[in-house]
Amino acid sequence: MIRAFASGMRVHVVQFSRNPFDLSGVFLWPILYASIAYYLLDAKHDPRLLFASSLGAAVMLMWSLVVIGSSSALENQRWLGTLELLVAAPVPFAVVIAPICVASGFVGAYGIAATLVWGRLLYGVPLVIAHPFAFAVALPACVLAIGMLGLVMASTFVLYRAAFSLGLALQYPVWIATGLLVPLSTLPAFVRQIGWFLGPYWGFRAIREAALGSRAWTYIGMSVAVSAAYFVVGAIFLRLFVHVARSRGSLKLT
Amino acid sequence: MAAIEVTDLCRRYRTHVGIVRRRRTDVQALAGISFEVERGELFGLLGPNGAGKTTTIKILTTLLLPSSGTARVLGFDPARQAGEVRRRVGHVFGGDRGLYDRLSALDNLRYFADLYRVPVREKRARIDSLLELVGLKGRERERVETYSRGMRQRLHIARGLLHDPDVLFLDEPTIGLDPVGAREVRETIAGLRDQGKTILLTTHYMYEADELCQRLAVIAGGRFVASGTPAELKARVLDRTVIEIESFGVGEEALDRLRALPGVLSVATEQRDQAELILVQSSVGSELTRALLHELEGATLGKVIAREPTLEDAYVELVQTA
Repeated sequence: MIRAFASGMRVHVVQFSRNPFDLSGVFLWPILYASIAYYLLDAKHDPRLLFASSLGAAVMLMWSLVVIGSSSALENQRWLGTLELLVAAPVPFAVVIAPICVASGFVGAYGIAATLVWGRLLYGVPLVIAHPFAFAVALPACVLAIGMLGLVMASTFVLYRAAFSLGLALQYPVWIATGLLVPLSTLPAFVRQIGWFLGPYWGFRAIREAALGSRAWTYIGMSVAVSAAYFVVGAIFLRLFVHVARSRGSLKLT
Repeated sequence: MAAIEVTDLCRRYRTHVGIVRRRRTDVQALAGISFEVERGELFGLLGPNGAGKTTTIKILTTLLLPSSGTARVLGFDPARQAGEVRRRVGHVFGGDRGLYDRLSALDNLRYFADLYRVPVREKRARIDSLLELVGLKGRERERVETYSRGMRQRLHIARGLLHDPDVLFLDEPTIGLDPVGAREVRETIAGLRDQGKTILLTTHYMYEADELCQRLAVIAGGRFVASGTPAELKARVLDRTVIEIESFGVGEEALDRLRALPGVLSVATEQRDQAELILVQSSVGSELTRALLHELEGATLGKVIAREPTLEDAYVELVQTA
């Protein structure tokens, strides 16, 4: 299963890297998000806030890359006619789909790095990381938390044909509920409670605390715990939804 | 124990019509088919589009659940024991789809080998021998998007054989191929048959079924209308003569007049480039050519040929009377 997972990651990264349109997006988006971080909060005179907002923008980009990357990859499987072959493989379907989401997560990790670097080059955002080791752990923990939320979303993409549209529609709600777009303190209390159930909430805080604060390990732990829970829920959903798709006969539909 | 056992298999699809007043309609794709395929046998399912061939294969390969009836593949139920079935069967379908276009053939095969649990030690040798078998050796590092349709189809077959399945399902594997490509694929299938693989092949090409299958069944409207060896099916129409009339612009009324002639058993048409081929089946010994031409007087006609019936004639007869 580990081999199937690793092989899946490789295939999806290579498949992604050979699409010039996707590649140009991955190159341009970090510049856009770095600019959003700089202009939106108007934090030019507060280096700490500027860095925090850059991190928020970088995680926003990561979520976009994961949810759009995994939904378009799933929709592509339908168009390529490979979805049925993946379902018919003897390994558990979660092991087939998870690499798509985690591969998108790694593209997202690049997105974080690129956003921060562009922020530094274009706007002079300070990149002083308080706890480099914790930051190095927080980054993959964030990738995992966001990638595994992508897996839960991907289970619905198996059932519905318009996966890409669904992926696009899920961008903003998660940005808002996890405090990436606007501070949660400005929103009703129930929004914060929704955020607790979302991987980007914990992943962002793990990265932010590692860079600027002191409670990174708590949030890293929460990111890992949430990721494990997502994997279990995603695997159950995938099993259930594949059964529904087999019953409806909708696996081949594009 | 037979490799494949199917009993009273039914499958209905549910569709909805309308936006405001949504109305549910059920489409019967399979209406209770039963058959068995022995180990090492190449069994053919013949039928027109929408007959239920692909639905049958999808149920047997675990991709679709039956509405009722039972199926067993190597003793396992594809609906309830999907994992056991998936380990033991290979599935190849026709057409362009089912491959990662931007990857090379080698990358495609490596990925599917990992998904189908081919042991690491055997993976390279297995892929090499399959590339050799399907004639893609030397081209395996090229991207699939540069492949011809025939090459893609042969790559599909290699993919389906990666885990050395006991049973192979081939769903219209030569559809859309040029004659040379189709012949190459048929040769590959014949080789697998000779190796003793159990194969269930669906096709609507009669010569393909005649050349490859040891037994076959004709399916139409979700039901079996006949089964047997190709020779047995042909024997159903051996007491007949087929008259082929090449025509241009003959209407339905004229065809009805032909059907009404004494001695005519069936009349079918086939499009051949700009011409329409009228196929008239009659009992052996009845001399109908003159009467047929008389009924078609005034129409533009080309060649007229009388010949012995083929498996295709048997198939057309079976499907038309179903």
